[in-house]
Amino acid sequence: MNVQFKKGVLELCVLVLVDKKDCYGYELVQKISDQIEISEGSVYPLLRRLTKEEYFTTYLKESTEGPPRKYYALTDKGRNYLHELLAEWVQFSNGVNQLIKEGVNHE
Amino acid sequence: MNKEQFLHQLQLSLRNISVEERQEILQDYEEYFAIGLEEGKTEEEISKALGSPKQIAKELVASARIEKVEHSASAGNIMRAVWAVIGLGFFNLVLVLGPFIGVLALLFAGWVVSLSFILSPLGVLFNIIMGDFWLFDVFSAIGLCGIGIFVGIGMFFATKALTKGFIRYLQFNVSLVKGGLKHD
Repeated sequence: MNVQFKKGVLELCVLVLVDKKDCYGYELVQKISDQIEISEGSVYPLLRRLTKEEYFTTYLKESTEGPPRKYYALTDKGRNYLHELLAEWVQFSNGVNQLIKEGVNHE
Repeated sequence: MNKEQFLHQLQLSLRNISVEERQEILQDYEEYFAIGLEEGKTEEEISKALGSPKQIAKELVASARIEKVEHSASAGNIMRAVWAVIGLGFFNLVLVLGPFIGVLALLFAGWVVSLSFILSPLGVLFNIIMGDFWLFDVFSAIGLCGIGIFVGIGMFFATKALTKGFIRYLQFNVSLVKGGLKHD
């Protein structure tokens, strides 16, 4: 798939997943890469950026196996941002789908 | 590449950012390796899926540079941020360097105009010394000097606004190029 296209969408995916429940990095990466082919390493820079922009807060939580994990939680600011992005996404994808439908019908 | 090689390469590529930030980032990836290993993956599999540590570092460094510019927009910091964002890919050479040179040229031209207007009375002074005195010159020079001061004040605000705007453009650029996928 197109590079630029995927990059913008990754941010939306991360926000949606963390909105559902607090997640740690590995979990997020696995959930996304189950659905979309991504470079797994690039999710962490994204998480850092979203944390710096105060869309996420982080906390450490012990796990039953292995070292403690850093969890990401959505802030109110982040939730607002998510809703903005979602609205944009719905509008965008509806537009594209409409164009595709019209295009196919004319063939 | 095994875990140690991956983390080492990442650390090397991140040497220009602050120690705490570097530690945090390395910790994130160490955690990632630890969980992956628990799930029965090999170090090689994990590092392959993560992608190139150099590319990851480029994104992180660009973010850190822009963050620095937001705190203090010195010429050096801006240059480093521009450079780091350009480093994210050839695509950005055109998208970042082009506008950067454009904005820079515009500001330079504005300041040159302002300064030369403000300094125009010096030209009259020079003429007087050379024994070539015109009353018209004196008045137009005073007028120009006034205009020059106004242009200068305008340029001061324009410089501030354009710097701010350009930093936002850099941020937008990083968020566009951020994320990434395989074979970037």
